[in-house]
Amino acid sequence: MVSSAAQTHKKVLEYNNTLGIVAMEGRGFEYPTDTVIARDGRLYVTNRSRDTGERAVRVTVLDVESEFYGTFGYFGRGDGQLVSPMCAAEDNTGHIFVTDDVTHKVTAFDYDGNFVSKWGVHGSEKGELNGPSGIAFDADNNVYITDTHNHRIQKFTSTGEFIMAFGSNGSGQGQFELPWGTTVSPDGEVYVADWGNDRIQKFTAGGDFIAAYGASGLGDEKLQRPSSVAVDERGYMYVADWGNERVKVLDADGGLLQNLRGEATLSKWAALYLEVNREEGEARAKSDLEPSTDLLDADDPHTQSAHVEKLFWAPMSVKLDNAGRLFVTEGNRHRIQIYERAS
Amino acid sequence: MGKQDIDLMAHLMRRAGFGATRDEIDEYVAQGYEATVEKLLSPGDPTWMGDFMVRRFDHEASGMINHRGGARSWLYRMITTSAPLQEKLTLFWHGIFATGVPKVINGRVLYDQVNMFRRNGMGSFDKLLLELSKNPAMIVWLDNQDNHNGAINENWGRELLELFSMGVGSYSEEDIKECSRAFTGWTIGNTEYMMVRSQRDSDWPYGRISYHFEYRPEDHDEGEKTFLGQKGNFNGEDIIDIICKQESTARFIARHMYHFFVADEPPVPAWPYTPPRDPDAIDTLVKAYSESNYDITSMLRVLFNSDFFKSEGIRYEKVKGPAEFVVGVLRLTGEFDRPRREMVSRYSQITWMGQELNNPPSVEGWHQGTEWVDTGTLIERINFASEQFGDANKPGVKAIVDKVFAGGGDDMTPDQLVDLCLEQMGAISVSDETHDVLTRFAKQGGRSEQDVAHVLRMTAATKEFQRA
Repeated sequence: MVSSAAQTHKKVLEYNNTLGIVAMEGRGFEYPTDTVIARDGRLYVTNRSRDTGERAVRVTVLDVESEFYGTFGYFGRGDGQLVSPMCAAEDNTGHIFVTDDVTHKVTAFDYDGNFVSKWGVHGSEKGELNGPSGIAFDADNNVYITDTHNHRIQKFTSTGEFIMAFGSNGSGQGQFELPWGTTVSPDGEVYVADWGNDRIQKFTAGGDFIAAYGASGLGDEKLQRPSSVAVDERGYMYVADWGNERVKVLDADGGLLQNLRGEATLSKWAALYLEVNREEGEARAKSDLEPSTDLLDADDPHTQSAHVEKLFWAPMSVKLDNAGRLFVTEGNRHRIQIYERAS
Repeated sequence: MGKQDIDLMAHLMRRAGFGATRDEIDEYVAQGYEATVEKLLSPGDPTWMGDFMVRRFDHEASGMINHRGGARSWLYRMITTSAPLQEKLTLFWHGIFATGVPKVINGRVLYDQVNMFRRNGMGSFDKLLLELSKNPAMIVWLDNQDNHNGAINENWGRELLELFSMGVGSYSEEDIKECSRAFTGWTIGNTEYMMVRSQRDSDWPYGRISYHFEYRPEDHDEGEKTFLGQKGNFNGEDIIDIICKQESTARFIARHMYHFFVADEPPVPAWPYTPPRDPDAIDTLVKAYSESNYDITSMLRVLFNSDFFKSEGIRYEKVKGPAEFVVGVLRLTGEFDRPRREMVSRYSQITWMGQELNNPPSVEGWHQGTEWVDTGTLIERINFASEQFGDANKPGVKAIVDKVFAGGGDDMTPDQLVDLCLEQMGAISVSDETHDVLTRFAKQGGRSEQDVAHVLRMTAATKEFQRA
């Protein structure tokens, strides 16, 4: 059996529950990429859909009790439309900003999904974007954007006026290889998931390099293509270790505290589906959904996750709420696993 | 470096791979023909764009709810791999052990099967057949989950003998039944749940779960079987052992190999009634099969080093298959330095040309040769290649154009321009008639980069470029 228990040096988190179900439209997710835990108490989940995504691209709005509030931001290139929503964040005026790595735009919506504004010019000059992904606001309502294919972080005002940029392509300190998620810590420091370099980098608000964390490789002790990072008030780093199909908790010095492989259970929406579709529900109840690990290559966590449903599969984003709960958005399993602080 | 060596190397790269640039051909010629064959047969640890890159920027190639995502991942590999024969052979087995989405209804399971072909496709045939017998996509495709002790389903047993190993006429109906009995209990895990989801085409609740093989001893018929004249309490492994020892199997695989790599044979259903085009070549490959203990690499080594393969008489005889054609063009034009949404369209274009990867028309696979081309598919092929080569901003096209200018200068004659284009597109030899047409076209244009790109477009429309 593939171990999915939290492998722990110090137990920081314990599994709480799962949200979501796959759905091409309406209530549910399809290839979700990120979750915003907004101050209105709701979750705003961006979805990329499959292939050309003309149907399922949207932002799904729900809360932690699985109450569904609707969707917005459908496929297209017009105002309030999205082609490939990648990451999202809330500013201090209650607007939800979504990056789009195909249109190279950042689009803002209000809580009701009304279009507010959009900005972003495709290119490689300062202030221009090429495949924007990660997005995070600081306390002054300025925003850091991961400019993926330009291998840098750029800082803008919330209306898109360029402030500064840092980083270049490479593997040295302060350099990046196709960076992905970014966050601003409670102390105002900027953390970046430096995807292609298998590490997390930490910077001052002004973009000066402070530290890098993570050794490159497969498995529990290393990082492989991290997609996202969240940081709490203790400086603990919560890393979506995308290539290892894991989530890792690191202390403020980068020491491994806990390694999570995924423990998903049926969400309310999933349970309801199986209750209504009884034939599937009954067949599922008789199944062994955790097949023997000797069928699966331990060095291929992606394939393991394709076979064992409860494991993380493409953890795209990690976000913390005010209670210290961690929300893990899984692209390939179209759901969010929630972990709470261990008692 | 003689023209004959270059032409022969270009031929090898078209057949054992997806073509090559002129620079690559020169490098291979410098290494020597036999050394190049060895490198193709033993590619080591191939490099390519990489799984992580593809999965990050093409998310359906990661989750694979549908069959197209996995196929796109494979296309990225074909386009960027350093081991083109390995991918060509994967395509070869996909065409023979043709498995499709309409029954499997799970993209990841088909992707896993393609990976199995890649892992085992150049090894021994008995190992490949054993892996095929355990392959979840194949089990579902041919209903072996419904093949039970005391209630056999013959679908897998029949096709194993008819289409995957020996060919019609080499076994009896009774052999099919006994073969099927030996494979009872070979199924997939969680059969009922997976089949219910498959029948309902259900993504719910959390996307597709990949299938895994499961052997159920309680559902296996342990009784004595008589198969191809031999008696025993055979299980599936024993059946494969017996099959692989048959000369009919050697001939069947040899003919497939000849058909794919050397020259077109008629479609498989005609084989019992039509002798091979080159019986001596088939004999040579049969001998290699037997002497090597069914080793596919050994057969290919003999094939690529043989006179029948090197013969000028079979060059430009084979119509490129749609995937092969598109991959060859994309390797030249360099459109995909990284995953891009345009790959969704490229996959569709291959489909419109008559080959939907992971969705063959039947268990018999695709008919090859001139059947690839009709008035509709030919237009698709020419339009696709023309669009690709007409874009001088594509890095590969720009590199070709630069080399044409470096070789001929700004005032090259139409003749020189045509020759340089043919060289840079893979040392292509064309008939006098084709050359005439291209030269007349080149005379009408100027000598700008775009004019050169126009000659490339026209060259891609020639019958020689459409063939391998």
